[in-house]
Amino acid sequence: MGKIIMLCFLIFTTLISKELDTSESQMLQNRCLSCHVPQQIPDELVYRRYLMVYSTFERMENAIFLYMKNPNKKNSVMHHPFFFKFPMKKKSNLDDETLRNMIQAYLMRFDIKNKFTEI
Amino acid sequence: MLKSEKKSLIRFLLIYLLSTFLLFALAGLMFYSYETKHILDKQKDSLGHQAQKIKTQIRTLHNTFDKTLVYPRYPDLESTIYDSDKKYIMGTFKQMQLLDEEKLKRQTNRLFYVSKVEPHYLGAAYLLVTKNIDDTLLWELQKSIYIFMLIAGVFFSILGIFLGRLFVAPMRSSMEKMNRFIEDTTHELNTPIGTILANIEILESSDKYGTSEELNRIEIASKTLSRIYDDLTYLTFNHKYNRSVERVNVSNVLKERIAYFSSMADIKQIKFDVKIEENIYLDIDNNDLLRVIDNLISNAIKYNEIGGKIHICLTHRSLSVRDTGIGIAKKDIEIISQRFKRANDSEGGFGLGLDIINQIVRYYDYVLKIKSTLKEGTTMEIQWAR
Repeated sequence: MGKIIMLCFLIFTTLISKELDTSESQMLQNRCLSCHVPQQIPDELVYRRYLMVYSTFERMENAIFLYMKNPNKKNSVMHHPFFFKFPMKKKSNLDDETLRNMIQAYLMRFDIKNKFTEI
Repeated sequence: MLKSEKKSLIRFLLIYLLSTFLLFALAGLMFYSYETKHILDKQKDSLGHQAQKIKTQIRTLHNTFDKTLVYPRYPDLESTIYDSDKKYIMGTFKQMQLLDEEKLKRQTNRLFYVSKVEPHYLGAAYLLVTKNIDDTLLWELQKSIYIFMLIAGVFFSILGIFLGRLFVAPMRSSMEKMNRFIEDTTHELNTPIGTILANIEILESSDKYGTSEELNRIEIASKTLSRIYDDLTYLTFNHKYNRSVERVNVSNVLKERIAYFSSMADIKQIKFDVKIEENIYLDIDNNDLLRVIDNLISNAIKYNEIGGKIHICLTHRSLSVRDTGIGIAKKDIEIISQRFKRANDSEGGFGLGLDIINQIVRYYDYVLKIKSTLKEGTTMEIQWAR
């Protein structure tokens, strides 16, 4: 009986987490990438730039969060010419938690650890 | 080579070689540690070059940022990149998930090289490059030091023997001179002593001087001189002396020697108390037996008080001579057997007697026991049956 309950619990949590993943990806698509793609913002380039400057996931997340809350050249790690080509983003109107979730989902799309082939 | 010369040479060589060895071992150790550091530094430098190469490859990977990234690999070399929190990102050296430089210092079997990556390509803030220490050069170094120590050891041993011989040469020369002097002197003494004793016997047999006290004193003095001569001859020629061990009737020899010393004992009014078992035989050189008995009795007379007693007891197990003289202090008994050591300076003598007794006792594997109480007397016992 215990085993059945355990199995059900595992299936349930897996489904839920997948559902959450899917919902976060969906939200990222709707709330962020829907504008990024038509404006041809080079997401990967931005990610690499942040990665090169901040190194860790948490620091990148904090830096992007700060920029989203107060978008200006000082808060961005991108070179100034970048903003000649791509307009400065408007201040995000998402609540903090949602914004952090979106940033995490964005970072996870390019996460460096997932890109390496297993040694 | 004389025994004492050999002993001195061995002592000198031991001190000389030991101090030379210590000096060379210390120098070798210092040289080894210096060279080891040099070799390891060189290997670490090559690690630094490899790290630079890996950094270039990481930058390329960062710039291309393909869909899949292949971490750079090298044979005999492992590397890992860490983020700015020193957490593992990727690499071939997976043993350390959190970069801990203190922990790295404690690992002595590998070489580690940690360098910062700036800017943080692929998020890497630190690059760790490591490889096993190439100990071929260290083995070569150790081998060279051992060979050098061996050659130096042989060279300094030969030099030590040469120097040692040079140093003991004056000592050898003076010892040879002294021995030659004693040999010559004893040889020259033999004839006059023999003449004196022979003439005393002639005078004793004549009616005119037969009972003269003066003659008696001359006889005793001559006998003492004769005994000292015998002792000196024995010690001087001991190492050249060929013993002729035969079955000797100790009882008869002992009686003869007591008679011989009786005139000497009479002067100090010493009485003999003699208990001799008949026909006690020993396998011994006759001269050795004479030297032992003579020295035991003459010491008992010399260190006895006027009017004292000498108890002589011969059994099939031992010979003991007990006097009623000045005795020997307990602390002196151990060292009294040494040559030229006298228990009391009040009496004359060369202190040769006990040394001769000791040498003979040791040669025949007998046991010499000395029991003594100050102002009561001394018992010397030689045991041959155990």
